[in-house]
Amino acid sequence: MEEKTNKNPEIIGFACSFCTFKASEMAGSLRMKYPDGVKLVQVPCSSRVDPAFVIKAILEGADGAFVAGCHPGDCHFIKGNYYTRRKIAALKEMFDAFSMKDKLKLFWVSAAEARRFVEKVTGMYDEIKEKKNAGKKA
Amino acid sequence: MKTGIFICHCGHNIKHTIDVKKLSQYFKKYPNVTVSEDYPFVCSEPGQDMIRESIEKQGLDRVLIASCTPSLHGDLFKDLLKKSDLNPFLLRRVSIREHCSWVGDDLEINTEKARRLILAGLYSAAHYVPLEEKVVEVTKSALIVGGGVSGLSAAAFLSKMGMQVYLVEKEAELGGHVRALKNIWPARKDGKEIIDEMVAELAGRKNVEIFTSTTISAFEGFFGNYEVTLATPEGEKKMTAGGVIVAIGFAPFDPIVKPELNYGKDERIITTLEFEERADTLQLPENPRIAILHCVGSRDEQIGKPYCSRVCCINALRVGEAVKNKCKDSYVESFYMDVRAHPRGGEEYFEDTQEKGVLFTRANVAEITPTPAGLVIRGEDTLFGEFFEREFDLVVLSIGMSPPIDNKLMATLFKITLDKDKFFLEAHIKLRPFDTAVKGIFIAGSCSGPKDVEESINHGRASAVKLFGFLNLGYAFVDPFISSVDPKRCSGCRMCETACVAKAIKFDEAKRVVHVEEAACMGCGLCNSTCPSSAISLKGSIDMMIDDEISALTEAI
Repeated sequence: MEEKTNKNPEIIGFACSFCTFKASEMAGSLRMKYPDGVKLVQVPCSSRVDPAFVIKAILEGADGAFVAGCHPGDCHFIKGNYYTRRKIAALKEMFDAFSMKDKLKLFWVSAAEARRFVEKVTGMYDEIKEKKNAGKKA
Repeated sequence: MKTGIFICHCGHNIKHTIDVKKLSQYFKKYPNVTVSEDYPFVCSEPGQDMIRESIEKQGLDRVLIASCTPSLHGDLFKDLLKKSDLNPFLLRRVSIREHCSWVGDDLEINTEKARRLILAGLYSAAHYVPLEEKVVEVTKSALIVGGGVSGLSAAAFLSKMGMQVYLVEKEAELGGHVRALKNIWPARKDGKEIIDEMVAELAGRKNVEIFTSTTISAFEGFFGNYEVTLATPEGEKKMTAGGVIVAIGFAPFDPIVKPELNYGKDERIITTLEFEERADTLQLPENPRIAILHCVGSRDEQIGKPYCSRVCCINALRVGEAVKNKCKDSYVESFYMDVRAHPRGGEEYFEDTQEKGVLFTRANVAEITPTPAGLVIRGEDTLFGEFFEREFDLVVLSIGMSPPIDNKLMATLFKITLDKDKFFLEAHIKLRPFDTAVKGIFIAGSCSGPKDVEESINHGRASAVKLFGFLNLGYAFVDPFISSVDPKRCSGCRMCETACVAKAIKFDEAKRVVHVEEAACMGCGLCNSTCPSSAISLKGSIDMMIDDEISALTEAI
């Protein structure tokens, strides 16, 4: 029997309310389009993201997860994003051991960079979609 | 638990690509949902009345509003809950406009995405608890950074209303770039006159302290009581300011960036600002041939300045007019892309200048070559589609506005975001054009994008009015999103203590557990995600909320 799976990836994004979430608001206001599979969870700071959240998202069926915060030096909470960077780097090593390295991404998007936000999420989405459907018959 | 779900149509904005009726019907069947309604404009008066009525009649204890992004109308709905005797932190906003209906076009897909987003909000809201906002006292004083026209006009308003004003200027003299301008259109006043008038107004007031040749060395604290350290020529000075207006202006574009113009290599090539200074002392032949180049440093993708600087067309017109007034038989040619005479009356002014005899040629200037006989301009006439070569005695470059030199420094100091052109970004371009993301910090004047003198003065005053509104209350509410420690779970590993940037976590040697100093906590949640024993949780964003949100988004619940 043919396995009934969704061909379109689901991506959970953890977005800092001061930058990335603002950028996503702006992207919406500018009517920029990005895939519907990208869904955001608003967090007060990217450092609020416990690696457990990312693992949970993947375990519960998301095809990818990203954490997005302010550019280095721009953190509203002074240096929260530096902690995020370390945590995610460690988490990526772990993901790598399970060959899931590309399921996790960390990127910096400032409140003004709506276009960058859209480019980043769309890029990630397309990459995951390609991998997901590779080897499958159309 | 009684949750009320209110789905907004936002006119056609949401309804157009999301099946709101289907959604409101769908959520009716959820066990904890008492009310599930959709309404054309939830933020309107009748919309608010509907929510209020539902809260009162049905005794709702959670309100979920699926509409625009949470930062819009946030206070409006919070107040609505307060009025209905419901704790405002039991409100959940779900953004189905900016994050759903506007980013996709397919009705079915969008409806499904909106359903999941609302579901995530519903699960997350289940963990909401009433929180109490803390009240802090606000110092009735303002720090104004920048003593240009916008800074001065902000200072004039605030000091008139009785606020203590600290005006800080980097240069030795107040007035910024405007001081150097002559015969400013349309007031026909010299910049110096305008500045002197404004400074005189401030000079008589006791509640104004002006620091010139001063920079800011440190800035910390929170709204209502920002701690400012100034580096004045007399030494360090410390003060408390309730709020801040940043009005650091702009930097004139430096045409050296465009080597083809040969600016700086020949003294017959000058900028509009230099023309103001030297207009009377220029060595020119009897009937000079003068070229004016528009859009130098504006609308130029190649040098990363795609924006229009708004003031340079008027400046170019002023140069043409000044030359024609002085020497009727001179030959003045303006090379423009488009003449954007922005402010009111600008178009008429443009026509007047044409009537005075200034020639306007729509052209792309390729290069300026200085020769002993004159300056040769080569370019393309974009209306005729022909190349041309003409000789002039003087070339005036109408330079645009670049972001202020200190923009990065100030952005880091005051936590202001820079936009793509490196000007300061406002909180919302239309609804909050003076605010930044940080409460009590406002921007004024051309540091938030090119503005002319009139606009800068207005912008400064408007920011001052907004700040006055905040300061005059004398108190402010602080978000109660702070961390709290469960001493039973705390193992005393002190990892959070090392991580906390605000140094709000203190270790209790006797009990071997940590506790949070509420006043110092910034609410980032770093400790929450660092704690290996899940003993710390950030109010308003506890682990369970985010966990359930993830589950709902991935359809695992």
